[in-house]
Amino acid sequence: MVVTFQLNGEDCRFDGDPMTPLVDILRQERFLTGTKAVCREGFCGACTVHVDDEAVPSCLKPVGLVQGCAVTTIEGLSSGNQVLHPLQANFEAADAVQCGMCFPGMVMSLSAFVRDNPHASRPEIKAAMVGNICRCTGYERIVDAVADCLDQARKAGQLVGGIHV
Amino acid sequence: MAASVERLFTAASTIEEALAARRQGATVLAGGTWMMRDPRRGVDLPEAVVALHRIPALSKVEIEPDHIVIGAAVTHTVLGRALRAVAGFEGLVAAAEGAANPGIRRVATVGGNLCALGFAAADLAPALLACEATVELQTFEGSRLLGISDFLKDRPALLTEAMVTRIHLRRDLIASAHIRLPLRQAGDYPVAIVSFAVDKDKRCRIAVGSVEPVARRWTALEQAMAAGPAPALDPKRAAELALEHNDFQGRDGKEAEGWYRRQVLPTLVRRAVAALLKTEGLAWL
Ligand SMILES: Cc1cc2nc3c(=O)[nH]c(=O)nc-3n(C[C@H](O)[C@H](O)[C@H](O)COP(=O)(O)OP(=O)(O)OC[C@H]3O[C@@H](n4cnc5c(N)ncnc54)[C@H](O)[C@@H]3O)c2cc1C
Ligand code: FES
Ligand code: FES
Repeated sequence: MVVTFQLNGEDCRFDGDPMTPLVDILRQERFLTGTKAVCREGFCGACTVHVDDEAVPSCLKPVGLVQGCAVTTIEGLSSGNQVLHPLQANFEAADAVQCGMCFPGMVMSLSAFVRDNPHASRPEIKAAMVGNICRCTGYERIVDAVADCLDQARKAGQLVGGIHV
Repeated sequence: MAASVERLFTAASTIEEALAARRQGATVLAGGTWMMRDPRRGVDLPEAVVALHRIPALSKVEIEPDHIVIGAAVTHTVLGRALRAVAGFEGLVAAAEGAANPGIRRVATVGGNLCALGFAAADLAPALLACEATVELQTFEGSRLLGISDFLKDRPALLTEAMVTRIHLRRDLIASAHIRLPLRQAGDYPVAIVSFAVDKDKRCRIAVGSVEPVARRWTALEQAMAAGPAPALDPKRAAELALEHNDFQGRDGKEAEGWYRRQVLPTLVRRAVAALLKTEGLAWL
């Protein structure tokens, strides 16, 4: 079956089993290896991408369900040569990243969260991270960086979605 | 990557279209959060699936003055958001907003939660039992309404032909609560769940999930609560009654053994009553 969707703003066409998990197409066909397949069970969040602006695990998303949708991966958030998403910039500044395995998923979950919750409290930030497991950091620095990011955006009078995804 | 399979995938745009695909042997695909893990359980993915996400009638929550209708393809996130301001349904909202993790809740549907056979820890099952929900099914012979207790009991046979289309709720609750015990603070399957509701006749409806293979009402405790004096809605007293009337056979599972699931129930009842007393509907007590 042919499935077409937008991938990081470009047309993407897949011809194959419609029950193929989206993460496999991203990594193996499109070489977008920022999206990690770690647990493949929906528990770790390392495979999180945006589908029509919602952060969802791509390991449990059959590609047939994304027909006509817009998919954004970590590579689509910022190529690395461009300005970083404010959240990425804050993670870098706070030196929050350790091994980095969880971070693409963490950034994808939290970038959607800060866009939708500009006034989030610390417990709300923590609740938003429940599906993103990090084995290295102990989370607190990540929470600090998200809280700082929201603070800065509020002070600057702009929402964090300023860099639109 | 999965081997190239000629799999039939229909994205139905009407209930009739979905039913036609079912007649030809297609399995319902909702959010996929349960089905996509079938291969890990040693089960092959179905050869033909029919997806429900493009059927508008199944993707909405209708809130009327005396009843609520929930489409089977409504996600946990949408359900929680829709009912957050509706007094009496605090338990169902807590179930929708406390299950799994945020990414799964954005995808996992009400229908999928009720139809995942062999899944004992479904949060919406006890919450909807406490609401005395009615399940609307589409069968090859037409539509059919069934109380949720009967639906849960007869599910394996019913789902060979039918699909769930909607859930109907009466707005006859004054307060409800949903208390779950996961091993971590959040994000994993609950070891045991107690859903507790009080209706307009001040009748308690209590349901338990994840302790036995299929969620069910705790009628022994409901009767004990009804027999006692009104202040049975005291957390400590309710926990004592729960201990006395604990007629559950805990199931052994990966996360916990059966005795433990059974043993935590009085504590969860105590927490549930404490949560009930904090709701707007019962704050006067
Ligand atoms: C990481 C993780 C954590 C989880 N934690 C929890 C938790 O804490 N609490 C909880 O309750 N659940 C939990 N779950 C389970 C999850 O909620 C259920 O898997 C989900 O509700 C299933 O919904 P779905 O739409 O994804 O169903 P699908 O996977 O699409 O379908 C599940 C089954 O139901 C059938 N089906 C679906 N819709 C219908 C319908 N309308 N009519 C007939 N048959 C239908 C399908 O054929 C399939 O057999 C968790 C899942 C994951 C991955
Ligand atoms: S790989 Fe998808 S959630 Fe872990
Ligand atoms: S930084 Fe290593 S898992 Fe999060």
